[in-house]
Amino acid sequence: MHAVTPTGPAPTAPFLEIRNVRESFGGVRALKDVSLTIEAGKIYHLMGANGCGKSTLIKILSGAQTADEGEILIDGKPTGRVAGDLGAIGALGAGIETVYQDLSLLPNLSVAENVAFTEQLVASAGHLARRLDLATLYATARRALADVHLPTDRGFLNRRTDTLPLATRQLVAIARAIASEARLVIMDEPTTSLTRQEVDNLIRVVARLQERGVSVLFVTHKLDECKQIGGRAVIMRDGVKVTELDVSEHSKAEFSHWMTGREISETRYRTDPKLGDVLLEVQGLAKGSAFTGVDFSVRRGEIVGITGLLDSGRNELALALAGVSPASSGVIRLVGKTIAPQSASEAIAEGIGYVPEDRLTEGLFLEKPIQDNITLPVLDRLKNAFGLISSGKARRTAEDSVRDLQIVAPDVSAPVQSLSGGNQQRVLIGRWLTINPRLLILHGPTVGVDVGSKDTIFRIIQRLADGGMSVVIISDDLPELLQNCDRILVMRQGRIIADRSAVDLGEDDIYRAMAGRTEDNQ
Amino acid sequence: MTDVISASGVNEKPRGLGRRLWDLLGARPELFTLTLVIATSIVVIIANPDFLQMSNLVDILRASVVRGLFAMGVLVVLAAGGIDVSFTAIAALVMYALTMLVIDVAPGMPIAVILVIAAAGGALLGALNGFIVHRLNAPSLIVTIGTQYVYRSFLLTFVGTALFMNIPAAMDRLGRASLYTHISASGVASSLPATVLVLAVAAIVTWFLLERTLMGRAIFAVGGNPLIAERLGINLFTVRVFVFAYAGLLAGIAGVVHVASNRLANPFDLAGMELEIIAAVVLGGARITGGSGTVVGTLLGVLLITLVSNVLIFVGIPSTLQLFIVGLFILIAGTIFTLRNRG
Repeated sequence: MHAVTPTGPAPTAPFLEIRNVRESFGGVRALKDVSLTIEAGKIYHLMGANGCGKSTLIKILSGAQTADEGEILIDGKPTGRVAGDLGAIGALGAGIETVYQDLSLLPNLSVAENVAFTEQLVASAGHLARRLDLATLYATARRALADVHLPTDRGFLNRRTDTLPLATRQLVAIARAIASEARLVIMDEPTTSLTRQEVDNLIRVVARLQERGVSVLFVTHKLDECKQIGGRAVIMRDGVKVTELDVSEHSKAEFSHWMTGREISETRYRTDPKLGDVLLEVQGLAKGSAFTGVDFSVRRGEIVGITGLLDSGRNELALALAGVSPASSGVIRLVGKTIAPQSASEAIAEGIGYVPEDRLTEGLFLEKPIQDNITLPVLDRLKNAFGLISSGKARRTAEDSVRDLQIVAPDVSAPVQSLSGGNQQRVLIGRWLTINPRLLILHGPTVGVDVGSKDTIFRIIQRLADGGMSVVIISDDLPELLQNCDRILVMRQGRIIADRSAVDLGEDDIYRAMAGRTEDNQ
Repeated sequence: MTDVISASGVNEKPRGLGRRLWDLLGARPELFTLTLVIATSIVVIIANPDFLQMSNLVDILRASVVRGLFAMGVLVVLAAGGIDVSFTAIAALVMYALTMLVIDVAPGMPIAVILVIAAAGGALLGALNGFIVHRLNAPSLIVTIGTQYVYRSFLLTFVGTALFMNIPAAMDRLGRASLYTHISASGVASSLPATVLVLAVAAIVTWFLLERTLMGRAIFAVGGNPLIAERLGINLFTVRVFVFAYAGLLAGIAGVVHVASNRLANPFDLAGMELEIIAAVVLGGARITGGSGTVVGTLLGVLLITLVSNVLIFVGIPSTLQLFIVGLFILIAGTIFTLRNRG
């Protein structure tokens, strides 16, 4: 069944070993010499802040990406010239199954096909000119679905996967891992959108996997769940494996410390804030199940950070304020005037600028010049006497931004994709500054940005606030918030559960509130 | 405890008849196509009971063969999330060049060899589409518009523009071959053409390919989500080249069948049929965005389009109004399928 069958391995060899893996993208080193041993039937929790390299490590493990250096050994035998050489089929054949957050389920195929198709694909080594063995398909699917306690009747087996609720889809993805006789199941933040009960069920399924000698590697932020599941925690930071320890023997505070790493002595950019009267007032804002009863206010010249886990509602709140995805009820007041932005352009008209988190897909036109990207919201102002865009005015506007934001670029006509991540981000900020916003909402302003660029962006944010602009930063980069904000709001399960001054706050405090430590949510 | 999930989320709740029909439509969109076919037939029969003559039914089948062959190819491309508008140009190039070749070089070539060459030539031209789509990572609509023009212009510029009135003997025999001849009471003879068999074989092969091979599941997987399909180890290049080559293969065969049925090779034929064929496949329940569609639904879609274009004339609906009706059907089907997918 497996492409790599253990033929009398050395009795001491662990199931899987990652040795000295290095990987860089452009100039950014995502993994710096990471080694990890995975024993059969053990549970691991891969933890670390965003950008620490854990996603890269998983991609290499699952064969989606090859490393620059380093190797992966299975049963003591190398799996190729370099780690990741196996490729997707090879990794599946070696028994490494990855359940990404999108679950990797094909929405238009049936449950049976999703569960049992890979088995046949692996058996044929990826060759497609083979007969689909329906009897085996159904038999395998039935067996695997029974293992995760899902129905096994024909009706369920033939159901389109996109008609199932999320928790069921997740179990289908795990059933697929069982069907392809996985020896290692990697789960990328599997509990993010699950209810408590669904999480408990998932944990039981994982325990059954473990009993059969399957190793499970969780990628997670949730300390409570790690504690409940048990096993070993592998903590990464800045592309390095910082430590590996037993989950049960250490306190959550220790984990937070390992993960965030830096001492809080890092320079605070926020000095001497000059706050004015209240600019933004939000009362009882709610949207479906995403967030509810959100109250807060932002003063002129104030920088407010909003943080929380992925499912806390922070992203939805940001989109509601920016008018991209309007709230369903509640009041937003800007300088005393009630506004209800129904679209991004209405929010822009009120003076709200929104810099999205994913600048590549939501914000920038990568193949277009810097100039076009920056002047996009103010094309009206750039018209000449004939009502056409004056290229001279556009060029001057763009050049002002480039100078102002210290964007490193040969020329404003250079395409944005030729810039580094930090400079791209500054182009995006520059775009929103052209409308002179009263309120600037920055969503993950330094995601994928190197340390030097971070510094520049932080200084820009401070200068804007000093000039009287109000800034809301939505981020899960805690040091970033602590260094820049006056106040930090922590969201969990759609509510703001803490509203604290950033001055006397530590990362551990926030982390515990985010993850839902019981003392904090009383 | 785990039963909580299956009870709340997986098992169907009891529903009314309307809701069940609505769900059925989601699972089996071709039932809607069948309904339209039946409704159209009933309207035609009421308006003109003479419609139910063997000669009319045979005419519909005859007219469905080339459309059906094209549609099988389009179905496979659509299922993989692509779109192809170059197949008529491929068919025209293959049929005309091959007719010319056979007449000039090997007038006695048997029909089996002619069909094999047509299939191979069509597959080659189609594979080029797939290769370009994959290598450039370009929208297949744009690529196939481009190759359509290139193939057509190549045909008219370098191959020829003169009609072949005397087609090769083997093709002529294929066109005249009859499975069954019916002589009506009034003495009108109508014969079921053997070319229907070509469509039948193509339909069965396509069904087997889509439903019973790993390639078939891979095609739907790529149509559902190419990134996930690739992550699961499906080779996108293989799938893309295959689907376009398959559409080209069927187009090549359709070209020969077209020449055989008309006893004429006209290089200007077939152009402009692309949208009608795509419409037939979509009317048959395939989504234009990929990842779905069935052979039976596609055949029904072809039948519906043929019915409307060939038969409504018998009941006094002017040909100018036929397009209106086809358009209406597409709008109704499109609306219903879209609403069903949202619900």
